[in-house]
Amino acid sequence: MRIFRGAAAAAALAAAAGSAAACGLGAGEESVARKESLVIGVKADQPGLGLRAKDGTYAGFDVDVARYVAGRLGVPPGRVTFRTTPSSIREKALADGDVDLIFATYSITARRKEAVTFGGPYYVPHQDTLVREDDSSIRNVRDLKGKRLCEVAGSNSWRRVVEEREIAATRVKAPTYSACMDLLAARRIDAVSTDDLILAGFAAGRQVKIINAPFTDEKYGVGIRKGDLEGCETVNRAITRMYQDGTAARLLTKWFKESGLKLATSVPQFEGCS
Amino acid sequence: MTRTVPPKKEAAGPAVAKPAEAHPAEVRPDEAAPGAVARFVRGRWLGTVPGRIRLHAVLALGAVGVLLLLLAATVGNARDAVRTIGHDAGPQVVATGNLYFALSDMDAHVADVLLIGREHGLGIGRDESLRQYETRRDEAGQAAIEAAQLAGQDADRQKTVREVLQALGRYDRLVGEALLLSRQSGHAAGETPKPVIDAYRQATDLMRMELLPRAYNLTLDSGATVRQEYEEKRGAVQAGRAWVVLAGVAALAVLLAAQLYLARTFRRAVNPALALATAGTLLLLGAAVGMLNGQLDHLRKAKEDGFDSVLTLSRIRAISHSAFADESRYLLDPERADTYEQNFLDKALAIAYVDPGESRPLNLDTYYALIGRTAAEYPSASGDTRFLGLFATEAAKADEAGAEPRLAAVLRAYARVMDGDRRMRELATGDRRDEAIALRMRRESGGAIAEFERYDAGLVGLATLHRQRFQDAIGSADGGLRGWGALPPAAGAVLAALILAGVRPRLAEFR
Repeated sequence: MRIFRGAAAAAALAAAAGSAAACGLGAGEESVARKESLVIGVKADQPGLGLRAKDGTYAGFDVDVARYVAGRLGVPPGRVTFRTTPSSIREKALADGDVDLIFATYSITARRKEAVTFGGPYYVPHQDTLVREDDSSIRNVRDLKGKRLCEVAGSNSWRRVVEEREIAATRVKAPTYSACMDLLAARRIDAVSTDDLILAGFAAGRQVKIINAPFTDEKYGVGIRKGDLEGCETVNRAITRMYQDGTAARLLTKWFKESGLKLATSVPQFEGCS
Repeated sequence: MTRTVPPKKEAAGPAVAKPAEAHPAEVRPDEAAPGAVARFVRGRWLGTVPGRIRLHAVLALGAVGVLLLLLAATVGNARDAVRTIGHDAGPQVVATGNLYFALSDMDAHVADVLLIGREHGLGIGRDESLRQYETRRDEAGQAAIEAAQLAGQDADRQKTVREVLQALGRYDRLVGEALLLSRQSGHAAGETPKPVIDAYRQATDLMRMELLPRAYNLTLDSGATVRQEYEEKRGAVQAGRAWVVLAGVAALAVLLAAQLYLARTFRRAVNPALALATAGTLLLLGAAVGMLNGQLDHLRKAKEDGFDSVLTLSRIRAISHSAFADESRYLLDPERADTYEQNFLDKALAIAYVDPGESRPLNLDTYYALIGRTAAEYPSASGDTRFLGLFATEAAKADEAGAEPRLAAVLRAYARVMDGDRRMRELATGDRRDEAIALRMRRESGGAIAEFERYDAGLVGLATLHRQRFQDAIGSADGGLRGWGALPPAAGAVLAALILAGVRPRLAEFR
């Protein structure tokens, strides 16, 4: 029948236009704000922040914050998987979709922002200096002149003292911050300088003190796949709530109270989602 | 359900309603509904020519009706989008940006007053600084009220505004204390006594650690709301446009099918009324799609070239003022000079990040050198004069005709501010603090205040340009929608009349 032929043609056109419309609307991948479960990248070797126990569970401030934020995104602890994400692979892990979010002492920098969208910062640690408990000769970063300072492979913290501030400290190489602690105890170095939260994690149970003379602002951000603005905005709202409902203060106290560190318990200035 | 469906001819309108006896399919519903439905379903009426003519007419009317309903809904969505982005949330968000600025400038004026001490002639002077402090205090209060209104039902955001207002009260008290101590001691410029500095530290810490971050986050969060609404409404208009095209094509197909059917059945070349209806539908569809494309374009311009830029520039301006105040704090509080210098560098990097590469450290010395070259070379950049940060966001979309030359001028003014900062710090670390303070407070040409004001004026000018573009785009969007409220019903009446006029004479042949 002619009518039906016409109707069939119209239907075909309709189907074509309909699929075109669907393409326009469904662009982009799923935002972390709408996921049923989350894989979260954390550190495995940083006491107090992200430390992997022998049984494979993770513990630390970053891990607790990650759990809270995931909860605010509607994902219960049972559907959160943690995965070790060392510094060198963080951008790739996000781009490849291996992890949905990263909470791993991930400092926001202009260069990283080209490849990653950052929620937060959820905390602004400061670079500070750790010395032996009985050492009273180092009271601020300028006192490091002529002292022996730990230089950890792959870390920028010593540069901030020696290069950026041009303070003439003697560098002593070490593979990790944990090795620095041993050198400090053995009196082979005088000071370790890096983010105060990292220092606080290592300081626990040792004969050392943080001098409480911060000289930088780091920004620990939440790594999110580049372009997921909705996810970033939702993460920022979760962090705002974390500070408003007292969870942030509780978690900071839980992990860093012993260190004697001055802890900030009001919400940091966000970076802005881009 | 099926029982109450009236025979098709009634839906086709009174113009095709003919005496019942004319056609087998025609049965009055009140008379023998079950029989009528059965006959309707059996579809024998379709076997007759008038039945088919009616079917075509009904399909055509239905298709045009659907098109017009979808069009009306989409026009409503577009209107809604323009209202939200252009008249409600957009401008309000820009207003909350003023909160950060006002707060930041309050603290800057306090630092200046405490730095100059009894030498009231330095800078804009003590009285003027205090007067501006009061002005900013009022502006901050006003902006907080606007932020509270904008927060609406959002409990977290309401709480943030409350926290800002509470902290502002505490800040006021701490500042009052510092100012009182400063006046009582009658110190010289740059020799602020320890108790005054201690009092100021409490105030500025409160401002910089608690007040400013919250204010900044509020602006970001309301900006996020606008972005979400923009995406949502733009998506609705895009989807609406797709549906309008779909319905339009369907209507045209039905009209053409009717035309062909009539032409073959009655051996006439063209049915003029139906042809007119087809042409009218095509015209309407073209105009509607053109209008919706235009709306989407106006909205995108208003959002990206207007709103986004205004928001970014207001962030740059806020951070710049805060960085400029770090210079005063650096001079005021030598014990914390390192911290304030680092803060200054961090803010400079947020505004315009330059990369000295692996071999050189990223400190103020390398920054001064690179930013000077970067600003001089912009808009062309290569290697280490490429820059990131908030200015890069603006540079990425600056068009050569309007924004780019202005942005270039702003960047050069920024580089001059940085050069002033370099000279000021050189003096300060070279035991010439008095000269450093004089340079920082100088308003005459070459002085830090003069250079900063020039830079600030450039920023404001650039923001004004984008605000104008925002308003132009919203104005065009409003203009583009004018008349589209009345058009769908009017077009519906005309098209319906044409369709009916097209089939009526043919049906009349069967009387």
